[in-house]
Amino acid sequence: MRWLKSAGEVDASSIFRKFPVMTDTGIIKLILQGDKEKYTILVEQYQQMVFRTCMGFLHNKDDADDLTQDVFINAYQSLPRFRGNAAFSTWLYRIAVNASLNKIRKSPLMMIRQQFENLSGDKKGKEISVSITDGEDPEKILIRNEHVKWVQRVLDSLPENQRIAIVLSKYDNLSQREIAEIMNASEGAVEALLQRAKKNLRKKLSAQRKN
Amino acid sequence: MQKRTSVKNYPHKEKISRSAVGKNKVLFLTIKPVKMNCQLCQKEIDAYRQVKLPHDMMTQVESHLKTCKTCAGIYRQQILAERIIKGEKELQPDPFLTTRVMAQIDKLDDERYKSAPSFIKVLKPVLLSISMAAAVAFGILIGNLPYSGGEREKIPVELTLIDDAAIESVDVFANE
Repeated sequence: MRWLKSAGEVDASSIFRKFPVMTDTGIIKLILQGDKEKYTILVEQYQQMVFRTCMGFLHNKDDADDLTQDVFINAYQSLPRFRGNAAFSTWLYRIAVNASLNKIRKSPLMMIRQQFENLSGDKKGKEISVSITDGEDPEKILIRNEHVKWVQRVLDSLPENQRIAIVLSKYDNLSQREIAEIMNASEGAVEALLQRAKKNLRKKLSAQRKN
Repeated sequence: MQKRTSVKNYPHKEKISRSAVGKNKVLFLTIKPVKMNCQLCQKEIDAYRQVKLPHDMMTQVESHLKTCKTCAGIYRQQILAERIIKGEKELQPDPFLTTRVMAQIDKLDDERYKSAPSFIKVLKPVLLSISMAAAVAFGILIGNLPYSGGEREKIPVELTLIDDAAIESVDVFANE
């Protein structure tokens, strides 16, 4: 019952009452037979996980929300192609990672839009400005926000594979074995990727500091 | 006097000099503490943050961070990076996400049906009506088939003339 453990904010007891012994595969079977309402169970169960992954790549709540929705719709449309060789969560992670990478690759436009939004003070600016109510010095907050953006840029500048490994490890707290399964790589390769990513981060942070 | 120390406490960094002393070749290990520098400190920052270093290594990194501005800056940035990740992880998705997803799925299904070729749209109800009409007609046909169970014995005319009401009750025999 892996999915019930990871349900988090979902009321597990109510799910138990409705669907006493239902695995992901069982739910998918019912959905494919035409009971599409059962898909709500999967969405409620995995939304936090997909959202976190999207946040790791996009660093913007609204964008991550939209992408999470797209991921679930894509997954629904691809359900007939789900063969059950891997766990549903692994399959969903792959879709989320690919969707995030696609979104970033289209980024020249997105970057310009984000920069415009940052300049005009909405969206990202709003999220960061939450702490202004603390009575802190606005100058300090401004400097901190700059730091936040800068650290996000450093994270985003990592090579694609290292970035995937870091996001899955730091944002989703996945083990090297789970990351290896999602990335279709060996555990050793993932360990090396993580090491290189950390080394790169250190290097970039120190280089930025010198500048 | 050489000091015998377990290597386990110093898993990675310390240089260990080995010397065989005496006839029985007992191995003595002498630990030469490595001088902390920026390169080593930056390499161990992660482990330091997670308090995974041996005690004296922790102390060395700590004192280096107090004196070296560059390493202290990198340490602060790493803490900031961790905080940013933590902050982003704590964000919750849209509470209406499920509703939005299901509405979008319904919309897509409708669109798929609408965008289907027109002969399919016509054919579907026509086929449904034909199959229902065929089922009804089949039922009527079966109901009207002539009964062919002729092997059952016919009831003699005498028996049909018996008046059931006039027959004596079984109780009469029981009371006797």
